[in-house]
Amino acid sequence: MKPTRWERYADPLLALALWAGYVALLLATSRHLGYARDEGFYFDAARSYEAWFRVLAENPSEALRRATIDRYWSVNHEHPALMKSLFALSHRFLYEKLHWFRAEGTSMRFAGMAVSSLALSFTYLWGRRAVGRVAGLVAALLLAFMPRTFYNAHLECFDMPVAALWLVTTYLYWRSLASGGWRWAIATGVAYGLLLDTKHNSWLLPIALVLHLVATRGRLFLRELRAGRVAVPKALVAMATIGPLVFYAGWPWIWHDTGKRLAEYVAFHLGHEYYNMEFLGRTYWKPPMPRGYAWLMTLGTVPGITLLLFAVGLVASLFHARRALRERLEPARDDAARLPTDALWLVGLLGAYAPWLSTGTPIFGGTKHWLTAYPFLCLFAARGFELARERLGELAGRRRALVTPALAASVLASPVVITLHSHPWGLSAYTPLVGGAPGAASLGLNRTFWGYTTGSLASTLNRDAPPGAVVYVHDTALQSFFVMQRDGQLRRDLRGTLDIAASDFALYHHEPHMGRVDYQIWVDYGTVRPLAVGAYDGVPVVWLYERPRPESHP
Amino acid sequence: MASARLLFALVPLAGLLELTSHFFFSMRAPTGDDWSKLRGALAAVAKPGDLIVAAPDWADPLARRSFGDAMMPLAAVARPDESAFARAVEVGILGSHAPALDGWRTVSETRAGRFALRVLENPAPARVRYRFLDHVAPDQLTVALGERECAYTESGRPRTGGLFGPATVPSVRHECPGFPGVYAGVTVIDDEEYRPRRCMWATPSAGEPLRLRYRDVPLGEKIYGYTGNSWFLYRDGRSAPVELVVRVGGDALGRAVHQPADGWKRFEFSAGAHAGEREDVEFELRATGSGERQLCFYADSR
Repeated sequence: MKPTRWERYADPLLALALWAGYVALLLATSRHLGYARDEGFYFDAARSYEAWFRVLAENPSEALRRATIDRYWSVNHEHPALMKSLFALSHRFLYEKLHWFRAEGTSMRFAGMAVSSLALSFTYLWGRRAVGRVAGLVAALLLAFMPRTFYNAHLECFDMPVAALWLVTTYLYWRSLASGGWRWAIATGVAYGLLLDTKHNSWLLPIALVLHLVATRGRLFLRELRAGRVAVPKALVAMATIGPLVFYAGWPWIWHDTGKRLAEYVAFHLGHEYYNMEFLGRTYWKPPMPRGYAWLMTLGTVPGITLLLFAVGLVASLFHARRALRERLEPARDDAARLPTDALWLVGLLGAYAPWLSTGTPIFGGTKHWLTAYPFLCLFAARGFELARERLGELAGRRRALVTPALAASVLASPVVITLHSHPWGLSAYTPLVGGAPGAASLGLNRTFWGYTTGSLASTLNRDAPPGAVVYVHDTALQSFFVMQRDGQLRRDLRGTLDIAASDFALYHHEPHMGRVDYQIWVDYGTVRPLAVGAYDGVPVVWLYERPRPESHP
Repeated sequence: MASARLLFALVPLAGLLELTSHFFFSMRAPTGDDWSKLRGALAAVAKPGDLIVAAPDWADPLARRSFGDAMMPLAAVARPDESAFARAVEVGILGSHAPALDGWRTVSETRAGRFALRVLENPAPARVRYRFLDHVAPDQLTVALGERECAYTESGRPRTGGLFGPATVPSVRHECPGFPGVYAGVTVIDDEEYRPRRCMWATPSAGEPLRLRYRDVPLGEKIYGYTGNSWFLYRDGRSAPVELVVRVGGDALGRAVHQPADGWKRFEFSAGAHAGEREDVEFELRATGSGERQLCFYADSR
């Protein structure tokens, strides 16, 4: 039967609506979120790249000179350029030219939001094709309403964009396997190039896809290998050829001294410094890192109902896989494609978590480093949702029509409420499974990092600080502090400093190893009494001191 | 088969259970306003000199903000241990207790909203006769690096190093001329659990001992104290050991060697025949190896 016009356009429209709705929600809530430490660095980098784009527009030959490239692109060259270029272009056109945004920082964040939100659209599209429309929709919303996803999707950073592009590349790869043609394969190659140009998580995806290839082709793959004629999927060929070209084209820093600079880039991330991170009451700062970190943090930060649906979906998929392998399902059967799809989701998920199987992998990024796993987790959750919907529908009899909305509402209510409640304390939020934020604090789980919670005390500073007061910014990068001032979150007359002794007010963002900064403030200010404490659900996260003034303390 | 299907009814129930649990946990702990309102109730049970402790310890900043420096002075918040406190008031939330007060006798327990105020007595409080940290003025303490006397100032420029810098260099200090960073003064360091410890910063220079001489100290039965250095900076063991020798009237009462990764480490030296007397007490600090040297110590006579 020929699909109706609605049928033909419904899914792209729903995918677009999810994207637009999420971007709108992120924009509406962005103002209350202080700038994270790394956002300040990327803001500086983007401004530098933006200046280069101007040179490129005015004098292309000058822009392509090595000295010019080095001048503008050496900033933050430990990360590739795609997102920072998008931040720059968004700032240039949407803020400076079109005046869509009143705040510079928001204009840069917008690029991050736009790419991050693609994860919802593609989760939906994939869930729709593999499971069903409602299940796909539920999967996308479960992804949207994870506190850590929601927090990271706001930022002018790379972690949520890389999760989105990891998903997009894998989805296109899946489509290319089904179609067998070059169109989807080329799209996969281009997407992989963009992924490479976003963040180094991208290095793991080909390994995951090759594992998928080996696992799903099974004995056939071994026979091909012995015969020396392995049929490599076109998409993998495209990823190996088009991907690096797109990556190269998108990152001017590596246009000169390519080998040396790439080696430097790889070495930076393979030998990354170990920052401190609290986990179960202990601060880890050197290997061995705890093997249970990624798993327990996932349990503590992803809504429990999402995890339950994931577990149901995963178990159902494993049962299906066992049956499919035992019965050798005919390729023509409707569910024959499910096994390779589930396998692809599984390698996408495990590939994202794989680095944390090693005790040598740093854990300082908290949950943000494996956000790439979450779309796949939600796709399995779609399977779990669909199974529950079918089974409950069978029980409901004549009230079957009510099952879908009731079930969807019951599984989405808690993620939506938990996530909206977590704002703007995204990194302090924990789920009821660990007792919420108070339970997590008692367990000794990290309460915050990145210094973004300065935003939560901005109103106190704006109200109480005298004109020209000097503020010690602690873990907030000075660049982030300045952006908060330019965006109107903080008064412009305040002066940020990294010197406690020179300050009138001092911020402190709590992590156990940072305690010594708190103590320095006590001794220098002569008080242990904060002027204000920013607390999430009763758990102190950030606090502010005011240097006692002689007139106020006779 | 129907019972297997019924299991799926647990899915929506789990969603609703999580929602309910979220409301429960997010509203369980007292807010900042609740803490502010508690001051009166605490004042009714606390006596001057009582140790005020928040339980769990993560609530401490809210307690400090609400009760202020008078009820929670720096010396108590960054105490060496609890042994010298006769009484404590534990401000508990969420059913928590302070592990440091285990073994203390509960005198009273009152509820104030979401708080439990427990007054506890130390079964064997130490009677401190003299706290060396409380005596830094030059009529009580002189400091010398080798043979050179270090100058006392109450208006030195304080220095703070941030996360990777040294502990705060206080404005009140004995500064040793010609040796930047070599001084004696009271500051706060982070111990091996990143807790605050108020102590006398006294770092010898290479090859030259630093001597702190206290005048006319009433001596108890022992000199009791701790040695430490900033755990965050020296937890990897990269610094030289520092030796601390305590002398009274020319007699060495004891010697403690602080290794960089020792954490907050206790020492006790018997006053012997000097117990009950008033005498000068000298702390001599000497680096016993090459490399960076840092030491901060707490001491009292009890």
